[in-house]
Amino acid sequence: MPFDDIRGFIDALDKSGDLVRVTREVDWDLEAAAVSRRVYETQGPALLFENIKDYPKGYRLFNGSIGTYRRVAIAMGLRPDASIGEIHAAYEEREQKPVKPVVVQKAPCKDNIMLGDDVDLYKLPAPMIHEGDGGRYIGTWDIIVSQDPDTGWSNWGMYRFMIHNQRALVGFPAPFSHLAMMLLNKYVPAGKPMPMAVVMGADPLCHMVATAGYGVGDDEADFAGALRQKPVELVKCETSDLMVPANSEIVIEGEIMPDQTAPEAPFGEYPGYRTEGAKHGALCRVKAITFRNDPILTMISLGVPVDDSSVAAALTAAISIKRRLKRHNIPVTDVYAPPEGVTHLVIVGVKKGGADMVRQIGEIITARRAMVNKVMVVDEDVDVFNMGEVIHAFASKCHPGRGFIIHQLEDGKANMLTPGYDREERRRMRGAAAFIDSTWPVEWPEVEIPIKSSFKTIYPKELQEKVLRDWKKYGLD
Amino acid sequence: MAQEYSTMVHTLDDLPDGGETELFIRDLTPGPRKYDSRHVRAKVASSLDKLPGGDILRIRSLVGVMFPETWYIKVVKDIQDYQPGQPYEDMTS
Repeated sequence: MPFDDIRGFIDALDKSGDLVRVTREVDWDLEAAAVSRRVYETQGPALLFENIKDYPKGYRLFNGSIGTYRRVAIAMGLRPDASIGEIHAAYEEREQKPVKPVVVQKAPCKDNIMLGDDVDLYKLPAPMIHEGDGGRYIGTWDIIVSQDPDTGWSNWGMYRFMIHNQRALVGFPAPFSHLAMMLLNKYVPAGKPMPMAVVMGADPLCHMVATAGYGVGDDEADFAGALRQKPVELVKCETSDLMVPANSEIVIEGEIMPDQTAPEAPFGEYPGYRTEGAKHGALCRVKAITFRNDPILTMISLGVPVDDSSVAAALTAAISIKRRLKRHNIPVTDVYAPPEGVTHLVIVGVKKGGADMVRQIGEIITARRAMVNKVMVVDEDVDVFNMGEVIHAFASKCHPGRGFIIHQLEDGKANMLTPGYDREERRRMRGAAAFIDSTWPVEWPEVEIPIKSSFKTIYPKELQEKVLRDWKKYGLD
Repeated sequence: MAQEYSTMVHTLDDLPDGGETELFIRDLTPGPRKYDSRHVRAKVASSLDKLPGGDILRIRSLVGVMFPETWYIKVVKDIQDYQPGQPYEDMTS
């Protein structure tokens, strides 16, 4: 059964032993984030901070909603111990059947409404996440809703926004994100403010699809419905036509200005490092804040993996890449983005490899924007979800001289958050990608291909069956 | 008691020692409004001798590293809370 809201999910985590309620007072200024970060680094539970310094009783912070595959499985209604492969398969299967949202008139997120001059972002316990960040990031584990002014297409993305002042946010949806493309191609040339809503504390699967790379015109709410196997309930914003999940905890409504900016960041981002921010961030004038009674502000103390971002983005990126490769008739077996690779590294399994295939795969993955800049291709005998097997294939099959294909990325295509690019590369969004060939060359005759020395590949099938049949007779369990 | 603010610069040379400049500062006063941003015209200096009665200005690099030097600031006036321009102008120009 899908969760109707984040509260149901929190209760489920509580029952499964995947949540700790922190009842002692915790400071929103670094302390909540520091505790959360340490919990990530010790593979600990999700955290509900129930007593926030400077804020009324009942106001809460929730960190780490799907920071482990186990919690993703719970969010999807799967067995908590479902394997990564099983989670991928369930996601892939469900997203084939988008479910349209339904519109409701009454919504819990309208319990409290602040409008106009009454708007005060400091009424919410926005955390200061890292020492030295540019400001208080209220939007980290969020959904940013925007709309194409011509087609009416509604886009969800997960982008960072920090408090600028009482009634303004400043953020950094990447310049090649769908939101930024709409902003720069449509609203800015027309000199019109762009309506936007920041949603916190929706159903966890709504947040997960906000990290996904669906195409222009694809409505993430439909895919959230697909994952939930039940429509998402949407309600109209107070000050715009944008539609937001009705059961959200907090919705901040505003407009990104076409001709006003403010410095944004720095912020310790998902690659696990803090790099320079933008001098001209997207400035959002806040027109309304609506929120549930006793609101729960969802957050992510971003940093080195593994955390919510690295798990959710790894899952959605891998499935999106697999979908794209299939569309190009690549004989893909599966795709895995290991969370530790912070969506900079993906492993692609193929039925038939070779240098040309590896180059083609790499070019497809980096064609529009290269969030991923290391693509390793392995043969189908390698389980892409098993990093032991992947490392073995890389170490043994990748030719040190011919196995690395370096692909230059022109201005505007590279990931400006890649810490390994220099300052100018990050600013210009230029760089390079490496396509790593860990497959056998196609030109090698079959009889010359080295034989993998594993139980399944180097012994006669009859002997394998006998060994398995007699396993206990050898005194083995 | 002196107020405390922070700002960000590429290098300390970006600040006119003893001079006047425009900059975004964040108010470090403890409480729920900590880190509130202001866009101001202000005098800044690297020592109190150069700016008697100045408030404290903590300075960080663009990646958030705190410079060890404490500077001082006197706000001359608040100006509009934004800088004119298009979003991402510095990255897409």
